[in-house]
Amino acid sequence: MLKYDILLQALVSGILMGAVYSLVSIGLTIIYGVVRIVNFAHGEFLMIGMYATYFLWAYFGIDPLVAMIINGPLLYVIGILIYKSLFRRVVLASDFTKIFLTVGLSLVLQNLALLLFTANYWSVRTFYEKMVINLWGISISYPRFIAFCGAVILSLLISLFLLKTDLGKAMRAVAQNWEVAMLMGINPDRIFMVAVGLGSAVAGVTGTIIMPYFYVFPMVGAAFVVMCFAVVISAGLGSIKGALFCGPIFGIAESLGILFVGADSGLIVAFLILLVVLIFRPSGLMGKGKL
Amino acid sequence: MLLEIKNLSKRFGGLQAINDLTLQVQEGEILGLIGPNGAGKTTLFNLISGVFTPDTGEIRFKGENITRLKPYQICKKGICRTFQIAQPFREMSVLKNIMIGAFVHSPEVNKVEKEAEEILDFVGLEGKKEMLAKELTTIDQRRLEVARALATKPKLLLLDETMAGLNPKECDEAVLLIKKIREKGVTLIVVEHVMRAIMSLSERIIVLDYGAKIAEGEPEKIRNDEKVIRAYLGEEYRRAAGK
Amino acid sequence: MRNLLFNWRDPKIYLPLILLIFLLILPIFLPTYFLHIMVTIFVFAFLSAAWNIIGGYAGQLSLGNAAFFGLGAYGAVLFTHYFNIPPWIGGVIIGGAAALFLSLLMGWACFRLRGPYFAISSLAIGEVMRLLFLHQRKITFGAEGVTVPFKGDSLLYFQFSSKVPYYYIALVMLLLGIYICWKMERSRLGYYLIAINQNQDAAEAVGINSVRTKQVALSLSALLTAMGGVFYAQYIFFIDPDFVFSLGLSIEFALMAIVGGVGSVFGPVIGAFLLRPAMEITNALLGATYMGVHLIVYGGLLITVVLLKPEGLIGWLARRYETLLKLLPGLKEKE
Repeated sequence: MLKYDILLQALVSGILMGAVYSLVSIGLTIIYGVVRIVNFAHGEFLMIGMYATYFLWAYFGIDPLVAMIINGPLLYVIGILIYKSLFRRVVLASDFTKIFLTVGLSLVLQNLALLLFTANYWSVRTFYEKMVINLWGISISYPRFIAFCGAVILSLLISLFLLKTDLGKAMRAVAQNWEVAMLMGINPDRIFMVAVGLGSAVAGVTGTIIMPYFYVFPMVGAAFVVMCFAVVISAGLGSIKGALFCGPIFGIAESLGILFVGADSGLIVAFLILLVVLIFRPSGLMGKGKL
Repeated sequence: MLLEIKNLSKRFGGLQAINDLTLQVQEGEILGLIGPNGAGKTTLFNLISGVFTPDTGEIRFKGENITRLKPYQICKKGICRTFQIAQPFREMSVLKNIMIGAFVHSPEVNKVEKEAEEILDFVGLEGKKEMLAKELTTIDQRRLEVARALATKPKLLLLDETMAGLNPKECDEAVLLIKKIREKGVTLIVVEHVMRAIMSLSERIIVLDYGAKIAEGEPEKIRNDEKVIRAYLGEEYRRAAGK
Repeated sequence: MRNLLFNWRDPKIYLPLILLIFLLILPIFLPTYFLHIMVTIFVFAFLSAAWNIIGGYAGQLSLGNAAFFGLGAYGAVLFTHYFNIPPWIGGVIIGGAAALFLSLLMGWACFRLRGPYFAISSLAIGEVMRLLFLHQRKITFGAEGVTVPFKGDSLLYFQFSSKVPYYYIALVMLLLGIYICWKMERSRLGYYLIAINQNQDAAEAVGINSVRTKQVALSLSALLTAMGGVFYAQYIFFIDPDFVFSLGLSIEFALMAIVGGVGSVFGPVIGAFLLRPAMEITNALLGATYMGVHLIVYGGLLITVVLLKPEGLIGWLARRYETLLKLLPGLKEKE
């Protein structure tokens, strides 16, 4: 006999986590959509954001929510540096080169973290970490709720940015056809740079807002990013709307998986969904090419 | 009747690329397919060879319905096409390119290699068998394209603007080659813009405009057909008027 | 150009032969530790060659071959552990079948698509297998891993107390793997794979069923990799999900092929001969104090090779080898 409120709890957890997945996936899909690079190191951007948050908290007592203001720009700059030093060289190269470049980068970043910070799990303490909202018979932990709100707000901001601002429109133009965009006077190199910076910043900020209820360790990005890949592919590579829509779906799938199958089976359930999507709707639920 | 097309239609978004097209191809003939740019000639080839699926209509080859088959299946059935812009396997040698075609009917490397060498000579690429495809001149790349298609032992060969960009002498060589191919028992549909070539090659010509058949018949009749002239001249008038 | 009578005086023939004989007598005087390194070189060369079939020839970049490796390994060990079934059946047949089935699933999902989908899905599959075996503790023993119970030297149970039999078995496996790749390259499958890689649309137009061709390549790769997993389990006597299903392993298979030369028969072998000893040395020097250093090196190497010499070392090495052949004495075939 399944209790209604346990199910509801799982659904709500799923949605809360799903928004976070959406946000990270948006970063991933922007980088793919604009620069056509599958960023296998995307999870490491998340990880860097999380470690940065930890250190800001450990050494300066800065709360993660405040740290967002620092980490956003920080990860943006890191993204740009990575673009300039590495990604830029492979923009026109084969899939093979692009994939193994980012895979190599991921390995380096993960193991640098391992080297510098050891494999230990670290976490931050916040004054609100034990606080809970009680609604409709279920309890929602404050940090998760804040992360959810943050994710939703940021997702909306990014969507608005892409739709309304000139830079955003330029990015969408480059995503559709960078050669034509170039003829229109857009500098694709600059747009690629901004896209990678933005994607990286988004991942980093997400890392920041989930620190209150997550542990950071060198492989945290890897664990996270597989889920995000599932989201991005189901949504259709390059589709932001899809990422917004699919994040919660996978979040819920993960929750239900944990509820019905067992702990840590969330990824397996998500993956099964991905397999089904790929078999029946190969180009993703929303198709690709449009941001 | 080797190939029968009935009420074929294909739309891409707002563009009706093929509009209720019906035509037949008889075994052993050389059918010319002409029409202004954008008339749908390559689209028709794409539909026949399985790259696109039509919205409505039916394509029958030797009586069999091949409308929804995939390109590789259609090739195995005996229809092969060349591409308007040659698509060789650039990093492979000329011989290997042709061998790939020949592998359709047999997995034996030695046998296929011999077949490929014969076709190599047949199309006029002797002496170039170890050259990489990307090193070939334009006309030789066209030859290679045709050779590779011939290696699949087609009953029907679709040639898409094989003569584009060739000088008159090369054109004449191409015409001779196409006639030689027909003598081997291959039926051909030839798309061309080079009028003298198509007029001398084809026994019958079909003219397309805006995806529909506007004329059909012997070269002489087509040459003087008013609708055909208007279709082509119309385009030139449009261009001249600066539109 | 295989003559029925070998021309023993031709360096093209006698040089590899000398090398082979050298490898065959090596165990006689090589200390155990170095013997172990040779075994791992052979095994990884084999696994990398298996990866090369799908990653190099077919151009489908698998980041999850460890999934097949682990299935072979766990098949071998679990069936021996629970049912006393020899690894030839548990690992080779059942593990192999499981790997084959998984490869069919992956192919079905991905091969109709173009783009990076296969790379991503293969990565996900590797991870999923790892998590699956990590959490089904009741069956797979989870993170603690499983030990292969030692029953004494036995070919039936594929276990030996000395490293020497393993050495020869691994060498034979490698030679077999090389032979399979060599044959495949010259067969219709090989031609088809290269054609698909260069121009899939043209390939389809001349009768190539690209989905099925890629599937054959993947299934072959999966089966061979699973065999490697069986060997590994029986050699090391201990397996756990975090190693046999690890992404690092999948990447290592790819890296060796990439460094040596993707899409060539000997590329993976060269890569293994270069990278494995390098890794052992790095680990020996730094591994105790600094974890993960060798992976940083791998990552850096991957980035460097991919940016600077994506075709790998095989071209350069092949030319040096040709020069060497010319300098050696003997009765040479006129080319």
